[in-house]
Amino acid sequence: MLRRYKTVPDLKAHESAAAISFVDPALACKLTAMGVRPGAVIEMIRKAPFGKAYYIKVDGIRLALREEEAFSILLEI
Amino acid sequence: MTRGDAQTYKIALVGNPNSGKSTIFNQLTGLRQKTGNFPGVTVDIKSGKIRFAGGIEAILTDLPGTYSLYPTSSDEKIVAALLTHPAHANFPDGIVYIADTNHLEKHLLLLTQIMDLGIPILLALNMSDTAAELGIKVNIIRLSERLGVPVVFVSGRTGENIDRLQAELEKMMLGTQAIHKTAAFYTPTEAEKQLVEAVQLNLGTENPYRALLIAHHYQWLPFLQHSERETLAAIVETKHFQSLRAQVDETLDRFDRFTPFVQESVQEAPTFPNTTTDRLDALLTHRIGGPLIFFAVMLLMFQAIFDWSVYPMDWIETGFSWLNDGLKAALPAGWFSDLLTDGILAGLSGILIFIPQIAILFLLITILEEVGYMSRVVFMFDKTMRRAGMNGRSVISLIGGGACAVPAIMSSRTIGNWQERLITIMVTPFISCSARIPVYLVLIGLAVPAVKIGGLINAQTLVFASMYALGVIAAFASGWAMKKWLRTREPSFLAIELPEYRMPDWKNVALTVWEKVAAFVWGAGKIILFVSIALWGLSRFGPGNAVETAENTAREKAQTTQLSTSETEDLIAHHRLEASYAGQMGKFIEPAIRPLGYDWKIGIALLTSFAAREVFTGTLAVLYNMGSAEPDISSRTDNQAKVTMRAKMREETFSDNGKPVYTLATALSLLVFYALALQCMSTIAVVKRETGSWKWALFQFTFMSALAYVVAWLVYLLFS
Ligand SMILES: Nc1nc2c(ncn2[C@@H]2O[C@H](COP(=O)(O)OP(=O)(O)OP(=O)(O)O)[C@@H](O)[C@H]2O)c(=O)[nH]1
Repeated sequence: MLRRYKTVPDLKAHESAAAISFVDPALACKLTAMGVRPGAVIEMIRKAPFGKAYYIKVDGIRLALREEEAFSILLEI
Repeated sequence: MTRGDAQTYKIALVGNPNSGKSTIFNQLTGLRQKTGNFPGVTVDIKSGKIRFAGGIEAILTDLPGTYSLYPTSSDEKIVAALLTHPAHANFPDGIVYIADTNHLEKHLLLLTQIMDLGIPILLALNMSDTAAELGIKVNIIRLSERLGVPVVFVSGRTGENIDRLQAELEKMMLGTQAIHKTAAFYTPTEAEKQLVEAVQLNLGTENPYRALLIAHHYQWLPFLQHSERETLAAIVETKHFQSLRAQVDETLDRFDRFTPFVQESVQEAPTFPNTTTDRLDALLTHRIGGPLIFFAVMLLMFQAIFDWSVYPMDWIETGFSWLNDGLKAALPAGWFSDLLTDGILAGLSGILIFIPQIAILFLLITILEEVGYMSRVVFMFDKTMRRAGMNGRSVISLIGGGACAVPAIMSSRTIGNWQERLITIMVTPFISCSARIPVYLVLIGLAVPAVKIGGLINAQTLVFASMYALGVIAAFASGWAMKKWLRTREPSFLAIELPEYRMPDWKNVALTVWEKVAAFVWGAGKIILFVSIALWGLSRFGPGNAVETAENTAREKAQTTQLSTSETEDLIAHHRLEASYAGQMGKFIEPAIRPLGYDWKIGIALLTSFAAREVFTGTLAVLYNMGSAEPDISSRTDNQAKVTMRAKMREETFSDNGKPVYTLATALSLLVFYALALQCMSTIAVVKRETGSWKWALFQFTFMSALAYVVAWLVYLLFS
């Protein structure tokens, strides 16, 4: 089956994609308030030293997300 | 004035985290500020006075940074709870909203939410200095018209336009603001409108947006009564209100509305270039380099505490012994002179001696926070902390615990998940705080030889470092155990912003360090002073005339054995102490602590240390009749006093079997006890306050004491 979206952990370093929507409503609430909205372009910067977290950039803002949080952001292919 | 004529006008500073609120707060209030209402506490809500030209005053409060009125941490909840509760004593008459000009769009969400609450508001676009550097230009007039609020372009760092901000504030206070916008920014959906009407009808809430927020947050808003909560639950239920969905929809709707305003009024530099921050982060958050640099920074930090504090500590010591000798010589001998020197002065020096170390530690931690490094540490170690049931944010509390557990525990408020926050609060006191340092120094100096192990590491340094390691291990192990035991299902977030690296604002740094040190001195200081005076009384007086009888017995004994004058003095002091209230108390608990290798004198020190562990060295000094030389025992330069003290302690024997008390085993067991036990009233008080009940404070106290006892006992067994 063909997936019509990918998630943040699928991005390679310095690759970017636009966000479509969020899977988890509680997280969606938090992320939208922080300025990460559907349509925003998300750039992967790097993985945390011990894994399980990602450093991303959204509209010039730098954010750190946990793996679960990163998985719950759906991105355009 | 429109409101609060009877009282002073109240202004609150609101904004996203890192928008520069504290900086503007410092600009507006200068040194006319105070923190909290609880001794020993620092990150409480700060307030200060602003004076205007005509002699009018206003109270300014600095609220915690938050992204929206839909909070996820208890820090953020403070803001939502205050702004939805007009009857609250601190409810603001007006708000100054601080926004970072360089990320304006993201910062306007909360502004529009507050506008809908109908509180007079003023927008301060902060960081005009960096905006100028980035080539960002803002059309203030257009933005002000579009939003319907007065706008001032300021810089907290350079102080640019702070006077304009003051002038606008004055207009707000006098109700002569140029712009008044009454229409709500957000138009609720049909479903929300019905909900709001129901809430307004039942609770009498006037403002519709406030009613909506109450419906969202009815489960935790602290001012609601039980019956109101039930009513609200019923309303939410019958209207099938889906809070989270509605929050997201509302947020997106607001963004859709104000984004065009921003585009119209802000001329932005086309892209965000590859900045210094990116280059620094490539190194500082690097897979291998990141953690390595972190450990190097920590090592340097603790090295600095010791290297830099030597001189000021010596000055304080010298000053106190000089004062002590002077007073003893000038005052007639008697209980009053004793109280002044052995009680009060000893207590004061016990407080002041901490200032250098605690100030250096706070200084370095504040700098790390100011430059923006701490959030990187949070990012790098989130996974590690989660293993131990905590959040990446807990790192900040644990590092702060190296200075003092009280502010460290308060800084856990940024952790949203209750279980993670609770575990952080529970384990932070395991980290060796600066109050333990003198205890470690005395005991190690006493029992551990200064030899090089394998020709490399000094044995004393090794034991010292092991005490810190023990604290860290205990913190992580108990966090891990608590995680297994608690298990709640509540959402837990990392989602943290990594701000740009900035040069620290030295004024901010100085104020923060001053504030924390002052809070420590007043908070813990009162307790230490009280305990030293009480201890002095307890060890000088006894039941009936027991002390006098003991003195006479000692005198006779001295005469029959023909002791020298100084030996006689020592013998008398010893007998008097044994007969005093303190001696009785020590004897009473002796059976309980004997398995750990302690005698009744150590027992007294342990008992008094439960108020504040920093009393330990002072207590020992009093007990070994060296009140005047007390500050010197932890000194690395005054060897004479150290030698005398140690010599006296080495001579101590158990009264029943005549074996020496201070063996390596006893010293190690005591060290471990002090490393693990919770001996600090301020910590207990702050845990009670932060967890909202005695339950957790008592649990923590019992758990840490029991652990300390068992481990100390094992150590004693192992080494004796
Ligand atoms: N360049 C520049 N930096 C500023 C300005 N105002 C504040 N800062 C810096 O921005 C950072 C955050 O400032 P704070 O005043 O601590 O921000 P805050 O909003 O109180 O932050 P929280 O306590 O997290 O809510 C600090 O490093 C300040 O030195 C400004 O006008 N210009």
